[in-house]
Amino acid sequence: MKTLLLTGVLLAVSGAGAVKVGVLIPLSGAGSVSGQAAKNGYELALDEINKAGGVLGKPLEVVYGDDASAPAKAVPEFVKLVTVDKVDFMAGGVSSAVSVALSGPAKQYNTFMAWIGAAATPVEDAFADHKYFFHYHPWSYYNFEAILGFFKTLKDKQGAKNIAIAYEDGPFGSAGIDATVDAFKKAGFNVVLTEKFKTGSGNFGPLVSKAKAAKPDIMYWVGYDTDALPLATEIKQQNLKLGLIYGTPPSWPVGFEKNPLANDIAGLSLWLPTSPNKESAAFVAAYKKKFNNVTEEYFAPLAYVNLKSLAAAINKAGSVDKDKVAAELARINMPTPFGPLTFSKSLKTQYQGFKAGNWLHFQFLNDTRVPVYPANFSQKPVVWGK
Amino acid sequence: MGTPASKRQAARKPDITGVALVPLAIFFLLALAFPFLPLGDLGAFLLQIGFFTLVAGIMALSWDILARSGQVSLAHAAFYGLGAYGYALLLKTGLVWSLAMPLAALGAGVVSLLVGAVTMRLSGMYFAIATLAFTEVVRTIIQNLPEDVAGGANGLLVPALLGGNSRGQYLLALLLLALTASVSLAVRTGRLHHAFAAIRQGEETARVLGVSTVRYKLAAFFISSFLAALAGVLYAGKTFFISPLDTFSLANSIAPLTTSIFGGLYTTLGPILGATVLRIAEEALHNVVKNGYLVVYGLVLMLSILWLPRGLMGLFRRGRHGGDL
Repeated sequence: MKTLLLTGVLLAVSGAGAVKVGVLIPLSGAGSVSGQAAKNGYELALDEINKAGGVLGKPLEVVYGDDASAPAKAVPEFVKLVTVDKVDFMAGGVSSAVSVALSGPAKQYNTFMAWIGAAATPVEDAFADHKYFFHYHPWSYYNFEAILGFFKTLKDKQGAKNIAIAYEDGPFGSAGIDATVDAFKKAGFNVVLTEKFKTGSGNFGPLVSKAKAAKPDIMYWVGYDTDALPLATEIKQQNLKLGLIYGTPPSWPVGFEKNPLANDIAGLSLWLPTSPNKESAAFVAAYKKKFNNVTEEYFAPLAYVNLKSLAAAINKAGSVDKDKVAAELARINMPTPFGPLTFSKSLKTQYQGFKAGNWLHFQFLNDTRVPVYPANFSQKPVVWGK
Repeated sequence: MGTPASKRQAARKPDITGVALVPLAIFFLLALAFPFLPLGDLGAFLLQIGFFTLVAGIMALSWDILARSGQVSLAHAAFYGLGAYGYALLLKTGLVWSLAMPLAALGAGVVSLLVGAVTMRLSGMYFAIATLAFTEVVRTIIQNLPEDVAGGANGLLVPALLGGNSRGQYLLALLLLALTASVSLAVRTGRLHHAFAAIRQGEETARVLGVSTVRYKLAAFFISSFLAALAGVLYAGKTFFISPLDTFSLANSIAPLTTSIFGGLYTTLGPILGATVLRIAEEALHNVVKNGYLVVYGLVLMLSILWLPRGLMGLFRRGRHGGDL
């Protein structure tokens, strides 16, 4: 305790010249749920970093900026963090549209970006030639790669052959739907139905009737949380026999896991509080101690890993020199709640952290989400309905 | 007792005197000097705020020009988006930005004539709903165009305007706001003003008085859409990225409406002042009330509208007829 107190006093006295990290996240607006979760992750990481001696012998400082999920708000906020607050490094980033808009000032000020979100491919294009861009979240094509990998396993083990695709008609559901169909076909699946729906309409009667006639093994559903329960209800009412219902909403309805209709429905997540690795358990325990609750938002551990890895790289580099820190971060091999963090090339950027293999697939089983794939994360085997 | 003819004449005549133009001239002089002021570390940040404030000013003033003819449109996001997408697509054909910008705005203007021709019979709430539906139609069409054409739902990257030079972008936005203000003043001082005011106060009566309501309403729609599209071009060139969801967002139709009301409807200075004050207030609140600043911002906006039914311009026009900046 005495040592901790002494360290704290020494760190406070030597506060001048501390390393500053600007964190730009949506604390208001459409992405604020993820943004607030990320903020908690940063706060937890900051506590741990400073308790362990800070960065370069001084307490690390984090300056938060709210991008409000809007490019018109984010660009001035980014410039403020870089030119007024004079942060040494930038972290954060959730929205893709916001992140593309930041590519201009980031290149203008040659800013070091340790970016956690923004998975859409235009972001990858925009930062392809930025030498200090480290991207943690898998790009969107890795999401589909992960899903395809899981479905191929179901094909081998359960004989899954026919897929019905139900997608919402907005940008979230429609983006790349043709490429999705092609990829399934190329992998040897029969796409027996491709049907769009209006999100929030609640009317899945005709869609499920068509699916019943098409006899799919897997219902692949791309929509929002509001559609989860109406679709599950309709499938139950029409007694549609499926091997698996697989959904990829950005978030699931609150309390969905408690509803009997949710049983066996599968989905995708980068992380679950029930993830069985040691780092995940440690994160959950520390988070619970600090905030008195457990989060299911993966942006919390992602932000936590983001700041911890950046701080480790700065300490290893021994300075805030961007080239030295980039070299250290590029070399990092750090155990995290998502599995080991290493950086390697993506299709267009130099430093990509998590990839398809970091996604895990879960099923709602007995009132909770249980990881079922891949094998290294799996707690139970997949419940196949056919 | 009747009003003397000279007084009636004075009430009708726009008050565009040298004195009345002074606040507008001061605004533009200050705005022109702004990027050259020695603001130290704050300079780059304030220049970004300034740019988006000017874009909001163009949007609000262009919406106000249409509102002067009694048409409450919720299609401003559509024309803003058409400008942004038109500009991006024209650049893809190899056109230079200086040509792509006016052509994109002209394209949006032409579309507005087509929409206007269809919705001319509607007024009030019905017109507003029709324009809202139009925005959704345009968004859906853009989203369903082949991905290699307009990027589909994923969106489209746009080359940086003026090579990303922040000061240049700011001055270009100021120039376009000056153009919008000039158009607004021209409308206010010309025949259009009387026609727009007559239509707004009673379309049937205006028609009986010989005003070609269809022609004038279409003219208002065209001018307003052309200018909103210019704002869309500025946005696209500044943020490098446009997507159907963001660009055609309802917020882009609502913000010009609230800004105009807050600043002062049917005036030139009002919407510009409204955009400036609202953005400064939002930034100031953001820095003072870190959490929940939007709640305070919303309350300030509500109270302002309750206490200043004629907007900020009402502060300068108490007891006067017309108020005509």
